Amino acid sequence: MDSIEVLILILSFVILLGIGVPIAYSIGLSAMITLLVSMPSLPALTTLAQRMATALDSFSLLAIPFFILAGQFMNRGGIATRLIDLAKVLVGRLPGGLAFVNIISCMLFGAISGSAVAAASAIGGFMVDRMEKEGYSKSFSAAINITSSTTGLIIPPSNILIIYSLASGGVSIAALFLAGYMPGLLLGMSLMTVAGVWAYVKKYPVGQTAGFQEFTRKTLRAFPSLLLLVIVIGGIVKGIFTATEASAIAVVYTAVLSMVFYKEVRWKDVPGIFIETSKTTAIVMLLIGTSMGMSWVMSFENIPQEVSTALITISDNKYVILLIINLILLCVGIFMDMTPAVLIFTPIFLPVVEDLGMDPVHFGIVMVLNLCIGLCTPPVGSVLFVGVGVAKISIQKVIKPLVPLFLAMLLALLLVTYFPEITLWLPRLFGF
Amino acid sequence: MKGILMNALEKLLVVLVGVITIDVIWQVASRYIFNNPSSFTDELAGFLLIWLGLFGAAYVTGRDEHLAIDILPQKLEGKQKRRLQILIYGLVIIFALAVMVVGGINLVYLTFLLEQKSASLQVPLGFVYISIPLSGILICYFSLESILNLQPAKA
Repeated sequence: MDSIEVLILILSFVILLGIGVPIAYSIGLSAMITLLVSMPSLPALTTLAQRMATALDSFSLLAIPFFILAGQFMNRGGIATRLIDLAKVLVGRLPGGLAFVNIISCMLFGAISGSAVAAASAIGGFMVDRMEKEGYSKSFSAAINITSSTTGLIIPPSNILIIYSLASGGVSIAALFLAGYMPGLLLGMSLMTVAGVWAYVKKYPVGQTAGFQEFTRKTLRAFPSLLLLVIVIGGIVKGIFTATEASAIAVVYTAVLSMVFYKEVRWKDVPGIFIETSKTTAIVMLLIGTSMGMSWVMSFENIPQEVSTALITISDNKYVILLIINLILLCVGIFMDMTPAVLIFTPIFLPVVEDLGMDPVHFGIVMVLNLCIGLCTPPVGSVLFVGVGVAKISIQKVIKPLVPLFLAMLLALLLVTYFPEITLWLPRLFGF
Repeated sequence: MKGILMNALEKLLVVLVGVITIDVIWQVASRYIFNNPSSFTDELAGFLLIWLGLFGAAYVTGRDEHLAIDILPQKLEGKQKRRLQILIYGLVIIFALAVMVVGGINLVYLTFLLEQKSASLQVPLGFVYISIPLSGILICYFSLESILNLQPAKA
């Protein structure tokens, strides 16, 4: 029977994670233990080694280090402050203006850099102080910054959607990128609603209206950064270049922008930027390597089929199954980082939802949006840690203002799950 | 020794990131500007990514920066904490030794034996896969070093 192997896989993984073995190694070890039970040792070990390496041998995965590299150039190249200035002239005069500025800046920066952690540190490092000076509470500012940083993972370009494309066996990256816009905007707007109400109740100050001249000046200053989005997304969607080629163009563009025009990055900074990039890349790549090993073991043990049979015995109602999957993913997201979660659970859940007639593009967005919530929760929320780090505040203090924002995120998740049109409208418009 | 290795890895990673970047930019340029798509850049980039991922993983292990849920190690103190840390590093060593070194060496051996070569560059695949056992050895070494450097528990 396979059930013993399944038990070994799950138990060993949970125990390894729980005692603090790095996630990538926990995944690799539990895959190894499971495979050793059901296969002769040497072929088992060799297969895993091969899976690890071949998982990385993928041209579309190359977009990940390049978007990380472009994000690094932007982080240090003064692009964050220019985006914040733009957001300020756009929404600064609404009630709770600075909170809106924080959210919009995170959406723009997260979209351009593709990293929630980068958005939380680049925007938060600047905005939380600014908000505190104008009378906002620090915990509220930090909570806003943490939750809105995740929007950039859904708004394209997004590395996690590239990883989903890999895990799902080749769902179009262009379609996924287009699909991310509306749910990303919806998420941003739900957060803004909470921020607006909160700011109104607490009587936080309203900013000044910007003059037309200032508006034009700030827009022009942020224009080169925004143009990058147009080039990258436009090029991918129109099929002019692949996501990987677009990411390489983004590297050249951000490097030229931050070194030649803004002059905030110098040649001597470049090796450091490369090291940071390879560290972040390697963390993701080792996770991808071992997760692909594990997902191979899972399909070897027929786990996706068993889960799917189990789910269908609970209910054959599409809405109920989607709710169950969402609840499982929420729990997963609390304990697991987004990359391994997507790599491990996509092969398990995607066949189930596809049987129910769900579009794989839609499921990808639902999954990523769902896991975004886990990034902001203890014990392993990477964005939460960075967010409280830059705000210099304790996790306990930030929990209270986070609760209404979580509810807003959950509401957005439910809407995106049960109204596929929100996600699929834009890709369909472009013929995907 | 660890310092020298980490330094060398750092240089290797900088070179790898640089070469991959130039490689893919070259691919884009050759396709859109010179209208003469190069055939090897695609394959080379994939191989370099394997190297970057694996040697990068060894580097990150050396710096102890892989993502982990460290609630339990944070809670424990003294002797218990030390024992748990030894266990964690030990488990990492077991994985690196079994899968990356033993499995990796066998994989390299098999690909050389079968004379598998890459499609367009005609490089023996064994040279690509050799990064698995090499980075595995580095991961074992760094983890062993971390165990030896653990603060001895106070009596």
